[in-house]
Amino acid sequence: MTGRDVSPVDRSSPPESGSVRSFDFPPILSSDLANGLGLRIARMTRAPLVTMAVVMDAGEAALPDRSAGLAVLTGEALEGGSEKLSGLELADALEGIGSGLSVRTGWDATIVSLTCLADRMEEGMSLLAEALLRSSFPEEEIDRLRRQRLAVIRQRQMDPGSLADDAAADFIYSESVPYHRPLGGTQESVESLGREEARAFAEERFTPSGAGFVVVGDVEVSEARSLVETHFGGWAGKGTPPGAITATPRFEGRRVLVMDRPGSVQSEVRIGQIGISRATPLFFPLKIFNAVLGGAFTSRLMLNLREKQGFTYGVRSRFSPRKGPGPFGISMAVATEVTATAVREALTELEGLLEAGPTEGEVERARDYIAGVFPLALETTGQVAARISEIQVYGLPLDFFSTYRDEIRGVSTSSAHEAGRATINPAELAVIVVGDAEGVVGPLEELGLGPVEVVSGP
Amino acid sequence: MNREEEGTLLNVPVERHRLSNGLRITLSMDRSVPIVAVNLWYGVGSRNERPGRTGFAHLFEHMMFQGSANVPKNRHFELVEQAGGTLNASTWFDRTNYYETLPSHHLELALWLESDRMGWMLPAMTQEKLENQQGVVKNERKERYDNQPYGDWDERMQALVFPSDHPYHHSVIGSMEDIGAATLEDVAEFFQTFYVPNNAVLTLAGDFDPGHALRSIERYFSEIPQGAPIPPLPGNQQISSVIGGVVEEEVVGNVPLPRVYLGLRVPRLVAEGFHTADVAATVLGGGKASRLHRSLVREKRVAKDVLAYLFPLQTSASLLLFWVTGYPDSDPDTLRAALLEELDGLESVTDEELDRAVALTETHLVRSIQQVGTRADLLSMFDQSFDDPGRLNGEVERVRAVTLGQVREFGERFLGPDNRAFLTYLPGEVQEPGEDQ
Repeated sequence: MTGRDVSPVDRSSPPESGSVRSFDFPPILSSDLANGLGLRIARMTRAPLVTMAVVMDAGEAALPDRSAGLAVLTGEALEGGSEKLSGLELADALEGIGSGLSVRTGWDATIVSLTCLADRMEEGMSLLAEALLRSSFPEEEIDRLRRQRLAVIRQRQMDPGSLADDAAADFIYSESVPYHRPLGGTQESVESLGREEARAFAEERFTPSGAGFVVVGDVEVSEARSLVETHFGGWAGKGTPPGAITATPRFEGRRVLVMDRPGSVQSEVRIGQIGISRATPLFFPLKIFNAVLGGAFTSRLMLNLREKQGFTYGVRSRFSPRKGPGPFGISMAVATEVTATAVREALTELEGLLEAGPTEGEVERARDYIAGVFPLALETTGQVAARISEIQVYGLPLDFFSTYRDEIRGVSTSSAHEAGRATINPAELAVIVVGDAEGVVGPLEELGLGPVEVVSGP
Repeated sequence: MNREEEGTLLNVPVERHRLSNGLRITLSMDRSVPIVAVNLWYGVGSRNERPGRTGFAHLFEHMMFQGSANVPKNRHFELVEQAGGTLNASTWFDRTNYYETLPSHHLELALWLESDRMGWMLPAMTQEKLENQQGVVKNERKERYDNQPYGDWDERMQALVFPSDHPYHHSVIGSMEDIGAATLEDVAEFFQTFYVPNNAVLTLAGDFDPGHALRSIERYFSEIPQGAPIPPLPGNQQISSVIGGVVEEEVVGNVPLPRVYLGLRVPRLVAEGFHTADVAATVLGGGKASRLHRSLVREKRVAKDVLAYLFPLQTSASLLLFWVTGYPDSDPDTLRAALLEELDGLESVTDEELDRAVALTETHLVRSIQQVGTRADLLSMFDQSFDDPGRLNGEVERVRAVTLGQVREFGERFLGPDNRAFLTYLPGEVQEPGEDQ
């Protein structure tokens, strides 16, 4: 192969794009079993795989502070085995077919899933049912897992990033809102949890009513349906849906919290407030607003704090919508000596964007970016199953992801600006800094943002 | 499942080409989704760094995003994001990779961007950009190494496992001092030496027409001149296949839980025996039915978590790593003893355990290659390391071919007391630099 037939190349400007190929979210076949379990099947034949996910209305948000961490512990305790299979035998059987149980517990749901080669689906489904429907929650396994959870809490407290996330949640939300605490609970709450609590939680919350069973992969729909009916059709139980969450802030106005970690070479910074619930009508305009602010590499925050100032390896902003209003926040890790300057710069970017709004060009780029990367995150059975699970958890229309890109493309510059202004109140921001108090408190006070409270780290 | 059955699980198509300037090309078409991955591996990594310039390969990777002759600063990111693509790069011991995944109608954009910086990066370099990225990388080091519990384990472990004159002795991130010492002359020299088409492999995976894609690659890359042969690695690569004893380091500091790391030399990626090491690692520490998880976490309950990971490396040896995280009051001697008991017991490995390793490998590989980005990266890896991207398709068979006898022999040769580097972290007051322990 030589370059002799190659014509001279004009490199001065980017090449024209080719013709666009359409992308469709795989169609979701939806039907409900008699016990209320909502079956959602999407066929994907790119790889000989199948992902099965049971999506249950069993999140942490329904729990009071004193039993915080119970949903997480109960989910993990599924690996403890059943009457028929010990925990070890269950692990052996799952890994023997090249799979493993994945349990993800969030504020709003518990999702128990596994992925295996498609020709091992029946065995996988049977093991999933064994683990979830006939779990025996052995005392000694609960004891072990509780001890592991407590060790994880300790690890979070020593990790500056996790510590800052947890401190920020507690500083933003009032104590009456479950979101003020760490998702996995506190040392105090987890120490109080045991086998009886886990069993009771599973009985009340791991039920088919309000739950979904998601199957994505290289399977025949009729076969998938009949397997789910065989293994999960007899699943009984009816839980009461948890109540709605009202989110109130811890304080009015701007406040600064410094959590002292003496000798830190960097500060972990969080700037945030209460944001949006998943049901917000501003979902799409806020996606665009956030992409311009700090949700992409070429966002205003990145271009200023990383590419202009070199203050940080990375800075981002995000909304974390939940059933109730989840947090909005900017996060970054910056050197101790520039902490206050970086906070000032981040606030200037946020205030500037709220004040003058994004430019037409920025909004166009953000639309193209978000609409363009959408199919990039739908290559695997697990990714598609996660999107369908989201539909289930938040009661979104079945075609939510089929129309997603059209919705994104429909966001105007003014609607993105208005959505940002309607959601973020710059006069009500909390600033949380986990770092060396001696090095950061003075300069933060000089910024005059509001009262600066200093507490010791754990 | 039957370990003897013939596998046809991996059927990734591979079409190879080579430009006259030495650039190796792999095309792997899959039109099932309208996206394409463009992936470039340069055969340069931290192993190529000279003394006083540790971390330079990685700093240079950052500079590759600072523009080129026809691409102003920030424009690279803007163009790819606006096209609806994602992009990144990473630096490792043996290589530096650059990659984009985009909607397939923007393939040409990625080729234009990659070729512009492969051919014409230097005209865009300035002192200001270098200083900006030195700041970014110093913050990256602080965030990921210095302000993170156990963050510097790899730096310490590499120094224990590889002698001081070996190219793997120092970390990829490098020292603060060396990051700060880099000059524009270093950038130019490194670029001219290593960022040449004869030191690169380019892989496309996903939705494209192979004929059209090849013509585009030729158009953008063929006028980039071939470089000189790549200079030999600095330092001494002639080391023993094992460490030669037990080396130990203890770090008291800002960590939540005691943790013992054990590192050892095992066959390098391209050597006979690499897959045996891979299977042994899975038997010992892959998954919750593995020996270490079963014994240390579930039965003895001395550990909160365990991990076994095989770093596939090209020079002299690969690094097999174990870690055992204890509970707050764990005695590190207990953790070490429990770990060694399992390593010593590998001779009792069973057929069922090999079956499990094969099954886990199968699912892992099939899951990984669902994403065109991962698929392209694996093909580049096999191209750069073996001059054979299609080797990917035989990976399950290579794992399946590993025998009980080989695993036992591996245990005897590599898991003994002549091949152990222990690094132990204990919670406690941080030791000031210069203070005796």
